[in-house]
Amino acid sequence: MRRFRRDWAHRRDSGRYQRRREYFDEPETSYSSSRGRPTREEVVTPPLPEQAASGSLMATSVDFKTHVDQACRAAEEFVNIYYETMDKRRRALTRLYLEKATLIWNGNVVTGLEALANFFEMLPSSEFQVNMLDCQPVHEQATQAQTTVLVVTSGIVKFDGNKQHYFNQNFLLTAQSTPNNTVWKIASDCFRFQDWAST
Amino acid sequence: MPLRKGLPVRTPSCLCGADKGVRDLPSPSSAAVVDLQTSSSRPHRLSSQANREDIGDGSLPSVHTMGHNNVGNSLQRRARCWSIYRRRYNNWSEQVSSGICPSPHQQQDGDPATNGTHMSTRVRYTPYAIPPCHWRGNFQKQDQVQANMEGEQKPPERKMKGERQDETSGSWFKIIIPFGIKYEETWLLNLIQGQCSVPFTPVEFHYEKMQAQFFVENASIAFALKSVNGKIWDENNETVSVFVYPSDAPHSVQKELMSEKVEQTKLTMNKYVVSQQPLKSQRVPYASDLITHDIAMVLNPRNSMAASLQTHGKNISKVKSAGELDKSKSLQPEEMSANRSSLCTAFPDKSTNISSILELFPKLLCLDSQESPSPTSIGIAAHKKLPTCKGSFFGSDALKSLILQFLLQYYLIYDSGDRQGLLSAYHDEACFSLTTPFNPKDPALSSLCEYFKESRNLKKLKDPSLRVQLLKQTKCDIVRSLCVLPKTQHDLSFFVVDMWFQTEMMICFSVNGVFKEVEGMSQDSVRAFTRTFIATPVSNYSLCIVNDELFVRDASPKETQSTFSIPVPTHSCSSWPTLCQKQQEVVTS
Repeated sequence: MRRFRRDWAHRRDSGRYQRRREYFDEPETSYSSSRGRPTREEVVTPPLPEQAASGSLMATSVDFKTHVDQACRAAEEFVNIYYETMDKRRRALTRLYLEKATLIWNGNVVTGLEALANFFEMLPSSEFQVNMLDCQPVHEQATQAQTTVLVVTSGIVKFDGNKQHYFNQNFLLTAQSTPNNTVWKIASDCFRFQDWAST
Repeated sequence: MPLRKGLPVRTPSCLCGADKGVRDLPSPSSAAVVDLQTSSSRPHRLSSQANREDIGDGSLPSVHTMGHNNVGNSLQRRARCWSIYRRRYNNWSEQVSSGICPSPHQQQDGDPATNGTHMSTRVRYTPYAIPPCHWRGNFQKQDQVQANMEGEQKPPERKMKGERQDETSGSWFKIIIPFGIKYEETWLLNLIQGQCSVPFTPVEFHYEKMQAQFFVENASIAFALKSVNGKIWDENNETVSVFVYPSDAPHSVQKELMSEKVEQTKLTMNKYVVSQQPLKSQRVPYASDLITHDIAMVLNPRNSMAASLQTHGKNISKVKSAGELDKSKSLQPEEMSANRSSLCTAFPDKSTNISSILELFPKLLCLDSQESPSPTSIGIAAHKKLPTCKGSFFGSDALKSLILQFLLQYYLIYDSGDRQGLLSAYHDEACFSLTTPFNPKDPALSSLCEYFKESRNLKKLKDPSLRVQLLKQTKCDIVRSLCVLPKTQHDLSFFVVDMWFQTEMMICFSVNGVFKEVEGMSQDSVRAFTRTFIATPVSNYSLCIVNDELFVRDASPKETQSTFSIPVPTHSCSSWPTLCQKQQEVVTS
């Protein structure tokens, strides 16, 4: 049974992987976006799978695996786009955030798109290297059925004019679903240097 | 005027110095003094029948609420907040003394006329509220009450107190059941008693935030209770943890003793006045201190005990004008503070709760982030500069209290050696995963291999089935994984918390800190971690974890040096009075 699931997952995944590569290589590809061509600063994944019928154990485990699968997809795509945008197209970064998103940056609180835009404008240019990535689907009891993914990253960052720092960062990504795709946006963002106390 | 025999003399350690004052009193009270030293305080009985006997004419504040049929189910209990605690205690306290002076307050649960047995079985004891006998109006009554009782036959329960002297009395222990708020008192105590080889009498059973707590006065009983840990389960087959800590005498017992001592000292003083003997100067501060304490509480009923420490000094002049004592020697601040150390073990009310909890997190106190300036206010001149890094952000005092309480609870069990108790902290379908930047090729980091086994780094891990497998789902799987991780000791004083998302249904926060491994190959290695919790609130003061992500790395040399330099005992409540002493020093300096 387990083998069956794994094979099935592989088949699904290879399809997804394929699609994602296309997305990256050819941004002009009409990638099933309801708004036409997706910009580079959008995290888009295939539409969310329908919920399996409840009541069967199998359905539950498939649901969980599906959620995990989907969360991983979203997280990986997101992380790639986010840090590339942060490094190379800083002004477009706020497009990845929800309107009322919050950022807690080394204990400094920044709320709302306008404040976020100012904040990112003020930050020196950056060079991020992400070494670690983990994600979890957030339980629907907490999100009231709003599909959400917890993304946790860690790595090294060098801000212009400053020394290098190890950092830890967490995101809450929420899905905005359309019939054709899912757009993920940051609901909240928490960033901290590992050595923040000595800065 | 002879002193009553059989009075409780369980002297809290903080008042030991003051005892000298008592002993120095000349005969004929010396015989009574001897009695005082030997009789014990009244313990509580588990059976409701004995309870009725005890409470029948009781005027003591400490009441065992056995047989307390929780009004409603556990869900209702969870929904109660501290204000209800206080209200009930006030009602109950009024009732207790209503045997002697009638109470104006209606008891919430029952007929005020039926005080004694019924009353005591329905009201939850709240030792940390300011008792109404210390309120302005009632103080007068209470004084009369005590005066009226002089020379009368002592109430039966006091007699029983003397008879029930326990040879091992003298050492108190606090029993904590984490997440005990979920369990009804009778059921819980029966469950524990069922597994405990010796009968025990819980004193001051109460719920504090998420815990159930009570005291026992006997080292061997405490030891027997300690071994109950891990042997009892609730109806969901989850382990019910039982932790035992040495402790000062419970509050009510101390208060008992103090009020008795006040009375006794008053009588002695009166005797002196009558006999025109000069007061020995060293007795004056002790006696006046006791009375001053009560007056301070009376004159400042709304102050928490912590605040009353500050106002203590201010009330000295009021004491003097009361004309009760010979004021030849002024009160010394150090003497006052020494006598107050026992009071600090309580968290009297909401306003001091946070400050008391924060005493355990000194780093949070000094580095606590306030309202952060908006980015625009940082200035154009600092264009290339990074914003100043700040400490913890909680969002609000209420959230701060909730989160810190949760973390205290969580790491109490996490560091206890048996993490099974964490089952009740997690949602049935919670998720947990951990990551570590361990590089197997780098021998310097080899000590993190215990964590690396479970590390789920999607940057490196591409196999979809492994990705699912390493994400633990269901609380049982999670706790099983946690139990396998090395045993730890966390330094809570260095926790830094970011509360970064919050709705009505969830709260999302990250904890940064350090811990030490306390056994195994990597014993004494210091690690740094960032742990992200997503939790849903299940009551005013309880959280249920739905997502948990742990990132572990080796601590930097700086982190290792600055933390754990002072050993922080995590398994003993005796650290709390120590911290309170620091608080006293700040207050009195």
